[in-house]
Amino acid sequence: MNGGDRRSRLLRLAAGAAFLALAAVLVLIVITAAGSGDGGDTNIEDKAAVARLLDGIPQRQMTLGDPKAPVELIEFGDLQCPVCATYSEEVLPEVMETRVRKGKVKIDFRNLTIIGPESVAAGAAALAAGTQGRGWSFVDLFYRNQGDENSGYADDDAFLKAIAKAAGVRNLAKWNAERAEMTTKVEETSQEAANLGFDGTPSFAIKGPQTGGIKLLGFPESAGDLEAAIEEAH
Amino acid sequence: MSRLSEGTLQRAIVFLAALGIGVAAHIAIADANSGSPVCLGGGSGCETVARSSWSHLAGVNIAVFGVIGYALLLATAFFADDLARFAGFVLALGGFGYSVFLTYVELFKIEAACEWCLASAVLMTILFALCAARLIVFAGAPEASPERA
Repeated sequence: MNGGDRRSRLLRLAAGAAFLALAAVLVLIVITAAGSGDGGDTNIEDKAAVARLLDGIPQRQMTLGDPKAPVELIEFGDLQCPVCATYSEEVLPEVMETRVRKGKVKIDFRNLTIIGPESVAAGAAALAAGTQGRGWSFVDLFYRNQGDENSGYADDDAFLKAIAKAAGVRNLAKWNAERAEMTTKVEETSQEAANLGFDGTPSFAIKGPQTGGIKLLGFPESAGDLEAAIEEAH
Repeated sequence: MSRLSEGTLQRAIVFLAALGIGVAAHIAIADANSGSPVCLGGGSGCETVARSSWSHLAGVNIAVFGVIGYALLLATAFFADDLARFAGFVLALGGFGYSVFLTYVELFKIEAACEWCLASAVLMTILFALCAARLIVFAGAPEASPERA
């Protein structure tokens, strides 16, 4: 084959490859755009990211971290709350790495349902996941797959079951049976938060050797603020 | 007007591919240390992207595939025959296409921008243009002796 033929063949092959690549990228984008929408559906995103974030950190009921940690950070959150979701993704991971993973603090998630009745069902589902040691996985995955507030997704059985499954809840029948029983506990912690004077989410409180009981933190804006509060509580 | 030589294109490809290896390796090393690359311009975009499920493929950080891709691209620049020209084009085409997809995911799905990922996407775009130009201009040219890039 002479140089001209070879050149012509190579350029035809290259054009074909470019066409295929363009088609592949377009198909990938269309599938991705149609696949999950804006959250609140059963195509659960960020499973791997949440699994990596929580990997190796003990989970017991709704507490994340070493049960013997000297300091307890309490988060009052509403699973439908977008600010809680952002906080969960952008602020808490640093605290998990620098303090929780090292056994200096444990974080207790408590429901403070302020957005709507759907938040109660969602919070109860999280507590039921907590009885199987998957409470924080459930909460973090829920946050990362939030839909629009009070749009009907947060108490949708299929959505909650998909979150539970993705969170690693092994006995889904037990989880499903326990969900209804947890509603009272959700209401109790909401009342507890109200008694503490909290009316927005997320709100934080802390208990440690130096706090002399529970100390209200309100809304620490950064991981640094939380870390400072944890150090003071030691 | 002086014509661009293949050697000049090869040297540019080597330079950009080496930069790409550095960028991708930086992301991969940050991930291996259970962290994320720090956005030089501030903000949490890099961390958000690094923690998203899109940052891994089959459990492997996609930056690792980036390092391999850039290294192969760099290798093609050391040869001046049609196989190297075509392989370089195909590799850069794949890298460019995947970069376009990942940039879409970053901006519209994760809704965060990681400047390291965007830097890699820009490098891959330029590399694709250079490799395409190399193939279009020099395909079928007599095999030259290996270039020192």
